[in-house]
Amino acid sequence: MSARNAGSVLDLDWISRVRVNHQAVLKRAQYIQSLKVSKKQWQAAWLLKAVTCIDLTTLAGDDTPSNVHRLCLKAIQPVRLDLLKNMDMHDKGITTAAVCVYPSRVADAVRSLKAAHSDLPVASVATGFPAGQTPLETRLQEVRLAVRDGAAEIDVVINRTLALSGQWEAMYRELHQFREACGDAHMKTILATGELGTFTNIYKASIVSMMAGSDFIKTSTGKEPVNATYPVAIVMARAIRDYYLSTGYKVLDPIILTCKIIIPIYHYVTGRYAAFHELPMA
Amino acid sequence: MAGCAAKTVYEIFQSMEYGPTAAPSAATAQAWLEHHSRSLGLFIDGAFVSPAGRRSCPLTDPKGSVVCSIVCSEDEDVSRCSSSAVSGYKSWSSLTCSQRSRVLLRLVSVLGLHGQCVSELCDLCGAACSPTALVRLLQFYSSWAQLRDALLCDWTPVGVVVVVTSDDSSLYSLMLKVLPALAMGNSVIAVPGRSAAPPALLLAQLLAAGGLPAGALNVLTGSDVTLGAKVAQDPNASFVTYSGNQQDGAALCKATAGMGLPVSVSLCIGPVCPFIIFESADMDSAVDEVVQAAFKKRKEVHWVLCVQESVSESVTARLKLRIAGLKCVSLRSDADRVLVDAAVEEAQQQGATLVQSCPPPPGSQYPPTLLCGAAPSSPFVVSPPPGPLLPVVTFRSNAEAVVMGNHSPHGHAASIWTEDLTLALETAHSLSVGSVWVNSSSVVDPCLPVSGHKDSGTCTDGGQEGLYQFLRPSGSTPLPRSAPGLMDYTRFGTEPSQAFIPESSEPGSSPQSYLQFVGGKACKSVSGCTMAVRAPGGSAVLALCPDGGRKDVRDAVEAAVKVQPGWKKKSPSARAQSLYSLAKGLEAKRLELAASLVSQTGVSLDEAGQEVDLSITRLSVWAAYCDKMQGGSLPMPQSGTALAIPEALGVVGIILPDKRPLLSMVTLLGAAIATGNAVIMVPSQKHPLPALAFIQVLQSSDLPAGVVNIITGSPDQLTVALANHSVIKAIWYWGSAQGRQYLQHTCASPVKSLRLFHQDQEGNDGGPDWTRSQPSLLQDLWRNAVQWKSVWIPSA
Repeated sequence: MSARNAGSVLDLDWISRVRVNHQAVLKRAQYIQSLKVSKKQWQAAWLLKAVTCIDLTTLAGDDTPSNVHRLCLKAIQPVRLDLLKNMDMHDKGITTAAVCVYPSRVADAVRSLKAAHSDLPVASVATGFPAGQTPLETRLQEVRLAVRDGAAEIDVVINRTLALSGQWEAMYRELHQFREACGDAHMKTILATGELGTFTNIYKASIVSMMAGSDFIKTSTGKEPVNATYPVAIVMARAIRDYYLSTGYKVLDPIILTCKIIIPIYHYVTGRYAAFHELPMA
Repeated sequence: MAGCAAKTVYEIFQSMEYGPTAAPSAATAQAWLEHHSRSLGLFIDGAFVSPAGRRSCPLTDPKGSVVCSIVCSEDEDVSRCSSSAVSGYKSWSSLTCSQRSRVLLRLVSVLGLHGQCVSELCDLCGAACSPTALVRLLQFYSSWAQLRDALLCDWTPVGVVVVVTSDDSSLYSLMLKVLPALAMGNSVIAVPGRSAAPPALLLAQLLAAGGLPAGALNVLTGSDVTLGAKVAQDPNASFVTYSGNQQDGAALCKATAGMGLPVSVSLCIGPVCPFIIFESADMDSAVDEVVQAAFKKRKEVHWVLCVQESVSESVTARLKLRIAGLKCVSLRSDADRVLVDAAVEEAQQQGATLVQSCPPPPGSQYPPTLLCGAAPSSPFVVSPPPGPLLPVVTFRSNAEAVVMGNHSPHGHAASIWTEDLTLALETAHSLSVGSVWVNSSSVVDPCLPVSGHKDSGTCTDGGQEGLYQFLRPSGSTPLPRSAPGLMDYTRFGTEPSQAFIPESSEPGSSPQSYLQFVGGKACKSVSGCTMAVRAPGGSAVLALCPDGGRKDVRDAVEAAVKVQPGWKKKSPSARAQSLYSLAKGLEAKRLELAASLVSQTGVSLDEAGQEVDLSITRLSVWAAYCDKMQGGSLPMPQSGTALAIPEALGVVGIILPDKRPLLSMVTLLGAAIATGNAVIMVPSQKHPLPALAFIQVLQSSDLPAGVVNIITGSPDQLTVALANHSVIKAIWYWGSAQGRQYLQHTCASPVKSLRLFHQDQEGNDGGPDWTRSQPSLLQDLWRNAVQWKSVWIPSA
């Protein structure tokens, strides 16, 4: 990981100048999705890259140490070893980017990974995930506890109330405090784009999050009715580019994709389409 | 690509490079070509024919390998084709509207089966056209075929329509002319340019399979645009319409001059179009769109990026980032590379900064290139070379953006980017272009009526308005066909007019001397010369009128140009009031006008009175029309709002007919100014007095000075003056075959829209019967006095 995003002062003038044309973004998304994708080794390489960007996640009420353990092992070996060997990628460190769990399961995950001799980071959601509707005090405490339990990345959710009512300064201050509470842990800010109403709001929330020092910005919690969509990714990527142009920091936008990645890889290697039982289980 | 194939997964994993995109399959199209042994014939009378002994012309793909060969048609083929088109017209136009509609609709389902073959063939030949766009065209025009008699009653098809496109035109622009012509009941001879020829032949075959009568659509192929002129020369052709680049269009106009054939052109390939980014724009979307539009492989227009100064830095920064990731674009030929290199070098010499993703590799590949710091007068902006170059200019204010966008001879299209709706609409109204795309670019749909403004064309394509070029009012007579005479274009109209010399006449009865009307003032001609107006049949000098010339036209245009924008901007109801007051003024001078008609044409006082009365009514009719000639919102398949706006042409020159001198003048004058134009009228040389008497009515009216100008003199000399003034956008002409040929030849470049009517020495003409007020006749007149602009405002 390169130098961390130090954040910047809140530039409200910039925020007020943001303009996003809804239809143009939709059209752009349609265009990009209509482009032909590269095939063969290019497809395999790009998909493997996608695998290494994934936060392998379980965020359910029925999480126990056993399924968290399974998840950790899958994160270490997301693609079957024989497939990787076939592509000569088995020793290139193909793992997911992190394992992501609720704060109470952080200790379990850290233990499982340590037992497997892996230095994969554990990410923890925090700050009243997914709704963020808890007092600031408890949200901050949640961050501190997760860091204490060994989480190397903290997924914070933004306060949608502040974003929707245009209180960017208040949102900036909250995120700034989260960032301080994170300490050395990376802060990944979840915007919950499905609840922000407009692309313009998404753009503004992205910029404010980056100004407050987020190392990553993410689209959604997975718990809203609408989650990561292509147009939203375009808007966020443009905000990241905008932030890069003015500060020189490249904030990252992790790709949230499904396990559908593995099937084309399997197809590339074997020339066959895989059945479910042939893929790693979590 | 051999080197790429060896790349391992890990190497790509590290570099994150894109792989080669798989070449699209063309198996179906290849099979169809193979079925025709790779040498396509002509499509005449519902079947492929391969006449023996013709020169054939190879068609190559961008990589230089031969795709197939097409036949170069000769005179024999043309005459065979034209007789087939005549019989095709008979059988096609005798069908009912719903039968014609059904045939066109059937092609939609045929395309469903063979769309793959059509699109592959288009790709192979470099005339890209998606089957969905074709289906949309067919559906749109099949419904117009169905509704022709219901919504366009009182109009008849023109007959055999010749559709010509240039070599670089797409199949879409060919079909945008062919299908409405067919839908209105005409038969069509399509003369596609090289790249669109094979798909056009395939479509003709599919249409025939769908039940189109033999001969209704014939396709002739040839090596260049001279074939279009050859087909036009055939006596059976009744209308020629062209779509494509400027050079071939001008060549076609010149070659068909004097054939007695109306020609309309849409110069939609190669114009320079502004891409305007205001500070209130969604900059990221604008940048993505301009990159996509300006750097695609086969672009039909040249974009010039105009950016507001306050955001120019952030736009350029974004552009630089985007360009860095782009691959080189292949040019069409090595010759293009020479042009590109020369233009880039010239730009650098003039101080433009170059932004490229990589240094240009040798050969026919060139990287997307920004030329920052260009000026609208830079040669690479005025006449841009082919290739992926994008000049960037900056502007300070909204008004300057409009000035910059309009500062070009082209008036094809513009793309404007702002989130401010008021600004968007204001800019859209002020740009003189056929299509305005707000926060989008290059949207085409057959429901949008688009006329090329300025040098970009003389006809309207698309929408209901686009249908009228393939129709004429029932009962009107088409222009008589003629053979172009050998004429020296430099000498036409140079003959000095007959000097007026003192003659022996009875003392004390010196003829009355009239003045002409320029810029709101009655005045003598600049030269000071006068000419005699003679009484009907006699040699007696009735009056004297100024002998106007080039300089009078210049002054009149100057006055007209000054006042016309304001006149056009007036509300339609204000224009209506002016016309009503003109009618009232005419009524007040009823007796004088009637007397001038009597003395000039020798009609009885009763008849003259009737003509004056009809003229008063006609002016009131035009006044009433003023706020009824409107565009509206159009039903586009995409979500958003599309507006069709009729706009005045600008300054219209009219050489008036001899017949009914007052009524005809008032009718034409009304049509032109009701829609917001300014006019320069040349009264007939034979009967100028009523027009000159009308000047006093004009003087007492509240029309702004300069909207109406009347110049007397030798019509030929004034025709030359009008034809050679670039401001004048349209000329309506009654006169000799020679004059018509001169106009068609001279107004080919820069183009003017011409309405030509035959009039012989005796004053018999093929124009409308002025006393009838058939709605389609008046509609025909005002449709010729407007050009259409479509504004597309997409929304989610």
